[in-house]
Amino acid sequence: MDWAQDELNVQVHSFQDTRDATIISPTIDLAKDFTDRTSLRVKFGLDAISAASDSCVRCHRPGANDTRVLAGASLIRKLSDDTKLTVGAEVGHEKFYQSTTVLASISKNLNKGNTTVAGGYSFSLNRPQLHPSQQTENQFANDAYASLTQTLTKSTIAQFGYEIAQINGYQSSPFLRALLNGERVVGVSPDSRTRQTLTVRLRQALPLDSYLETDYRHYLDNWSIHSNSLQVGLSHYVTRQLLANVSYRWYQQTGAFFYAPEYFGNPQYFTGDFRFQPFDSSLYSGRLVLTPRGRVLWLPAGAALTAEYEYYRSTTGFAAAIFTGGVRIPLGTR
Amino acid sequence: MMGLLYAGCATVQPWQRGRLADPCMTFDSDASRVAYQTHWEEAREASAGGFGVQSGGCGCK
Repeated sequence: MDWAQDELNVQVHSFQDTRDATIISPTIDLAKDFTDRTSLRVKFGLDAISAASDSCVRCHRPGANDTRVLAGASLIRKLSDDTKLTVGAEVGHEKFYQSTTVLASISKNLNKGNTTVAGGYSFSLNRPQLHPSQQTENQFANDAYASLTQTLTKSTIAQFGYEIAQINGYQSSPFLRALLNGERVVGVSPDSRTRQTLTVRLRQALPLDSYLETDYRHYLDNWSIHSNSLQVGLSHYVTRQLLANVSYRWYQQTGAFFYAPEYFGNPQYFTGDFRFQPFDSSLYSGRLVLTPRGRVLWLPAGAALTAEYEYYRSTTGFAAAIFTGGVRIPLGTR
Repeated sequence: MMGLLYAGCATVQPWQRGRLADPCMTFDSDASRVAYQTHWEEAREASAGGFGVQSGGCGCK
């Protein structure tokens, strides 16, 4: 976070996929310094969901609409010139699902700012309602991470991260029906899940005002799901006011040990959740960031306009297109 | 491994950090964009995490 600048960031995302879900998501982020050592960040997001996907249309022929509202706030405090503490909370609300999260993280710069160590923890209480019944279940998620960011040369920065999460409680999907002995039924997933993630990330400054970004993530959990993802991107300043970025993300995952397209007999676990099958996917992204010199219309000097298009396709036949437009407005510097 | 990596790294002085200060060299410089992308990826994939503490779940279907 840029400590010296108050900023308003407004983005609108449009998501549409081959499961016939259309989601319009405006988000607002406000960062405000109150003192030289204390800053507040507030975010608000909305998912306006038009979901004619198969999980809804089974009972709601014309499809079903939903609105997910997300609000969060974080307080950032500089404990010293090298150490920063963040505490925050976030709540999400939609039909048939509530979530509440508290989080804290700390980071410290070492070695004249060439090394940063960081760690954090979050706790979430998620409460799905087993629609169409009124019954509500609980899910508890504990998450912790640690990272090391190291400047390697005058043009290279690397980051290594590890994250572990323990999720207990109800983890089946009340919306996605499994095919059991020829009938569509609510699935049953294990009520405990341990997830681990390792990340290695690199940023490399290149000649001609260009930058290379590389992110690798390995994931594994105790449901036998393993995944690898590799994202490579290239940014280039076409002019000092216009930044262009293209990136490609490859993703591969194995299936959950209890996943099958169809179930017979009396299995302990069964699921209709399409996310638990093995598949590969590709994500293609293109982004432009325009930072005009001086004021433009009502926007102050330093404002930036963003436009991005992403296309996602998986080997399951699923595809999605996402368009994002946004504006970042500086609110003054300290 | 981390110790060997650390021992081999150059100490870049503050006045040498010109290119390192560019937003393109900052991990997750647009936190809002990263949060949205990880959210919809987690709604369509089984994996999650790797970019800091997690937000709450959702009924995404």
